[in-house]
Amino acid sequence: MEHILEGKELNKRFASEKGDTTALTDVSFYLDKGEVLGIVGESGSGKSTLLKVVSGMITPDSGDLFHDGKKYTGQKPRKTGEFLQVIFQDAKSSFDPRMPMERSIAEAGRGRADRALILEHIKKVGLDEELLSRKPSQLSGGQCQRMSIARAFYSGAGILLCDEITSALDVSSQAQVVKVMKNLKNDGKMSALFVSHDIALVSMICNRIMVMKDGRCVEQGEIGKIISDPQHEYTRKLIESARKQEIVNEVY
Amino acid sequence: MKKRIAKIKIIFVSILALLLIFVTCFAGLFAHNDPYATNALAIRTAPCLQYPFGTDNLGRCVFARVLYGGRTTIAATFLLVFISFVIGTVVGMIAGYFGGLADRLLMRFADITLAFPQMVVAIAVAGILGTGMTGAMISLGITMWVSFARLSRSHTLSLKNEGYIQTAFFAGKSDLYIIMIHIFPNLLAPVFTNALTQIGTTMIGLSGLSFLGLGVIPPKAEWGSMISEARAYIQIAPWAVFYPALATIVTIIVFNYLGDAVMDYREA
Repeated sequence: MEHILEGKELNKRFASEKGDTTALTDVSFYLDKGEVLGIVGESGSGKSTLLKVVSGMITPDSGDLFHDGKKYTGQKPRKTGEFLQVIFQDAKSSFDPRMPMERSIAEAGRGRADRALILEHIKKVGLDEELLSRKPSQLSGGQCQRMSIARAFYSGAGILLCDEITSALDVSSQAQVVKVMKNLKNDGKMSALFVSHDIALVSMICNRIMVMKDGRCVEQGEIGKIISDPQHEYTRKLIESARKQEIVNEVY
Repeated sequence: MKKRIAKIKIIFVSILALLLIFVTCFAGLFAHNDPYATNALAIRTAPCLQYPFGTDNLGRCVFARVLYGGRTTIAATFLLVFISFVIGTVVGMIAGYFGGLADRLLMRFADITLAFPQMVVAIAVAGILGTGMTGAMISLGITMWVSFARLSRSHTLSLKNEGYIQTAFFAGKSDLYIIMIHIFPNLLAPVFTNALTQIGTTMIGLSGLSFLGLGVIPPKAEWGSMISEARAYIQIAPWAVFYPALATIVTIIVFNYLGDAVMDYREA
């Protein structure tokens, strides 16, 4: 069976005055239909760069990308947007501050105007129709993020690339977004790459996990297997730190 | 509270600005004398009931000339600021949005235009086109669009990295669509504020060129040329210089204050 999304031996270096920085080294992954792949790692591990490479915002130096078995390496977001959509960390800035939500969501439809479909997706993410007439500044961060998810679904793209989508939210908004993502995952209609530094969060939402460090994939596999039997030292440390955090949360 | 005070300021100064524009546009309603009619029997008459601002060296009513002259000065200023605003904003958006070679070429061209002293350019343009308001406007416009271009370029550069522009790319929107629907409306406020603050400077520039004889052709009424003509006999008829100068100063203060008030409102 062909994977809905696949990356093979992706490499990316950034040149700067201080010298070259390697952001990705031989990173390979795949994503099957209806599956959520979590990408975890600390800041600077290359997970966001990987998302940018996969989305077409950055072209890899070498390696290839495939969608449904067809190579799309080098394609820009205007083209990749036909089958994938990015949900950014800062949800508010992903909506034009001057536009009402409905117009921003409709814009993602590539010329298709279907209000009923917009309403359907809005309900799916647990928002009211009344919010569609508001501007981003009149919504909370969590509401904006759920609007982003609704917009991504309305676009008709089959793959979501979620870049730290709960990091900029408060705890209650995080919970709302996580609930939406879990529901969508359980429906089995969502295929997504879910980037986060929080392994606990990833374990709640994803089927499989890929652990990144210094631009390399150090481990990947089924979520249960990785959590219960991590092979790499770095993965063990991430899990340990998440467990400590859970204890702290329980105490306070 | 700050925002409310700034809003009240804008309303107050806007009323003054509109009043100025109204008075000059409908000068005929307020000035009963012909601004171009000479009167040999009323040369350099001091302000009186018939001539509220007195008369000049040819017996022309200074009050009527100030009002009609305001029409020339304000209209030329607004037109020049508008044209510079349009050209500068378009150039800045193209340079900032597309970057690369387009950016380098357009911005270096902007730097080159700034390298020439304005008055030298004005004299050169007057030499080529002859004196007149069109020449004066062109000579000022050659450098004026640059401030709009730089401002809109810097705003475009920062807007380009906003998430909603990236989202528009993923939605397959064209460059023209993104520039017109997302970038232009979001940079309009700062560029418009700049346009308001440019009105005063432009008015000084146009009046200055007219004062040097590079602006309007006499006998057309214009504040700068009126001051220039009357300065020869300032000791015997100071009103002929005083009133057009006062009109220029008041108009510049009103429009500068309007620009400052809008800026305060945006920052509040």
